[in-house]
Amino acid sequence: MTVTTAQSDRRIDPETDDAAGGGTQLRRKKTRGLDKRNRPLWMLAPGGVLMVLVIVIPVLLAVFISLLDLDQYSLREWIRAPFIGVQNYVEAATRSSMFHAVWLSVSYSVLVAIITLPVGVAAALAAQNRFRGRGFVRSVFLIPYILPAFVVGTVWRTMLQPGGVVNSLLETVGIDGGLWLNGPQSYWALVLVQAWSSWPFFYLLVLSGLQAVEAEVHEAAALDGAEWWTKLRYVVFPYLKGPVALAAIISFLHNINSFTLPFVLFGVPTPYDVEVLPLLTYLSSFQSFRFGLSAAMAVFSLALIAIPLAIYLRAVKLDTGDEGHKK
Amino acid sequence: MNNKKMLATMAGFAVVALSLQACSATGGENNGDAVDGSGKSLNVLIAANTLYPTEQQSWFDDVSAKFEEETGATVEFETFASANDELTRIQTSVLSGQGPDVYSLGTTFTPTAYSTGAFVTLGDEEWEKVGGRDKFVPASLGISGPDEANEIGVPLASRPFALAYNTELLAEAGFDAPADSWDGLLEQAKAMTHDDQYGMAVAYADNFNPWKFIWTMSLQAGNPLVVDGEATLDDPTTVEAYRTYFEWMTVDKVVDPSSVGWQTAQAVAAFADGNAAFLPMTSATSAVTFDKSAVAGKYAYATMPLIAPGETSAPQGAIEAATIISGDNIVVANYSPNQDLAFAFIKMLTDPEQQEIYFNTFGEMPTNAEAAETIQSENELLAPLLDAGAQSVGTPFSGAWGDVQLALGNVVVQLIPAIASGAVSDAQIEDQLKSAQESAQSALDRAK
Repeated sequence: MTVTTAQSDRRIDPETDDAAGGGTQLRRKKTRGLDKRNRPLWMLAPGGVLMVLVIVIPVLLAVFISLLDLDQYSLREWIRAPFIGVQNYVEAATRSSMFHAVWLSVSYSVLVAIITLPVGVAAALAAQNRFRGRGFVRSVFLIPYILPAFVVGTVWRTMLQPGGVVNSLLETVGIDGGLWLNGPQSYWALVLVQAWSSWPFFYLLVLSGLQAVEAEVHEAAALDGAEWWTKLRYVVFPYLKGPVALAAIISFLHNINSFTLPFVLFGVPTPYDVEVLPLLTYLSSFQSFRFGLSAAMAVFSLALIAIPLAIYLRAVKLDTGDEGHKK
Repeated sequence: MNNKKMLATMAGFAVVALSLQACSATGGENNGDAVDGSGKSLNVLIAANTLYPTEQQSWFDDVSAKFEEETGATVEFETFASANDELTRIQTSVLSGQGPDVYSLGTTFTPTAYSTGAFVTLGDEEWEKVGGRDKFVPASLGISGPDEANEIGVPLASRPFALAYNTELLAEAGFDAPADSWDGLLEQAKAMTHDDQYGMAVAYADNFNPWKFIWTMSLQAGNPLVVDGEATLDDPTTVEAYRTYFEWMTVDKVVDPSSVGWQTAQAVAAFADGNAAFLPMTSATSAVTFDKSAVAGKYAYATMPLIAPGETSAPQGAIEAATIISGDNIVVANYSPNQDLAFAFIKMLTDPEQQEIYFNTFGEMPTNAEAAETIQSENELLAPLLDAGAQSVGTPFSGAWGDVQLALGNVVVQLIPAIASGAVSDAQIEDQLKSAQESAQSALDRAK
């Protein structure tokens, strides 16, 4: 509460100044000007250089490569590869399965986020209160998350193959499991395995959110006679909005970019039902050596994903840096 | 001012990066005719041997010691774990113009490597430096380059594909040897399929194995798949090849139903457990597994059938391909400052002594004719594999082959659900082959 008051006070001040007259405004401008000049902006240089090297240059290179006919024949002197304008983009849009791959990636990432969210929240709520063996339970919860994707992929591949553990178990209850690593079911296998390995991420962030709820709030809720569900719904959940929104966005981006897990699970060439974007890009780059085409796919999808992402960030106010105050 | 400082910092970075690059690029120099490598070191990139990791390590040490004895230079080996790892390493080196001096490449990757133009073309002089072109088994040179004047790869090891069979199961069923036609082999397989025992072990879900069947059967039916830059993947002979391959599961039922999800290792394991009579399309390295398994002493190798499906004798125009030319080629990077040393190293590895050591250590067939003869006379079990190697046919030498191979494999991958459901129609095969043909042709059209 104090924060809000202080903030609004600060916000009101200049308006009062404005109303006071032009002289004050001039002074304010001058002060602001001085402040701006004296800001030690050069201290941003190391970060700026790093950002240019790590982000800006590679992205610009990707855009540049996407305009070249770069393949194994021109790789050695790639800078001299023929410039072909937007032809790679046209090919990616019309003659490749890029849109199918983007749809698969986006839909499965959203599904995984939707599935893992309640699991993570439930696990965090269960592991928040003190009980005997809580440390152990908390550690066990983290196992899927700390296992390397390669290991997760290999183990699940073994379990899901025809005649594997999963199908044998299903058979004991009279269900024919069918094919998990190819065909329509493979999409659900990917969702399942990705959800299994990534739910502890939600759990971690929600747990940290829960720990930020002050004891006084719990006490106040108890004094007001709130039932557990009322307390959870109206007192605790509002605190979790920030961490959950953040977890959702990170999980979504992580899944969109996930390469190792689908690669290990399904291999290359990939079944059409799980030909997600990273696998398609990999196939074009490293199996067909169409570096220009795959760069075009990457840039295309970057734009395709960045737009809804920006809208989401704005909606959950993760981009303004002040979501903490709006709780 | 701030901008200037930032620019200066970036310029500094650039200078450091360039000088580092310059440092690493000047590693040694060419000493003319005499190969004196004193104080130098040759960098070699080679596949990590997962079957014999410890043996490979000591082989590295022995080879380096021997090379130092001969030339004064040591050999630094680097390994790559998978074909993909290999690709990435080669791409990085090709792009930056620095990296290993010598690469050991899979044979089917040689055309792609050739198309990058990053490796030394072997003229008379270079062949002489490695001990002469005629010291090699002729068939092993079939995928060294597009033609004799433009070769880049020196054959290092041969891993021809052949058919492993369970001698005990064949004898029980009254067969002396595997049939020489695919139809004959199928009939034998049917006779040996009962209870939990299957006629064949086939890895349908492997990423590399299936296309070799299709390639072999198509060639034997007279369709080389690529002729003068034109793909012929949609030819009826190829449809027949896929149909035969799928029907082993869906119609003839001579393979384990689970094999729809098998990779090569699982097919090898099924044969090693004694559950399958034939293991087609396997190489000599499988002997390592067999010798420690239930089939130890009860297995033998034969060349793959040479008569196409649906035929009783080779049709007109047939190419009697027993196997693709499989194994490793060794190439020298254009950018290497140690090319003479590199050729001296290749000479050493491809001379009979080292070739026999290589065979004894890793079980991979020699490409050196003299060493091959010695081994053939000493090792009855592996003689058929050497025969298969002599009857091997190279995959088309085109930078586009990678895509053609991918397209052939992709047909199987996309039809796996149909195989599992028990029926693959010709329409389904033709439909998949249509897009395979398109992508293969588009890759061939791009080939330079």
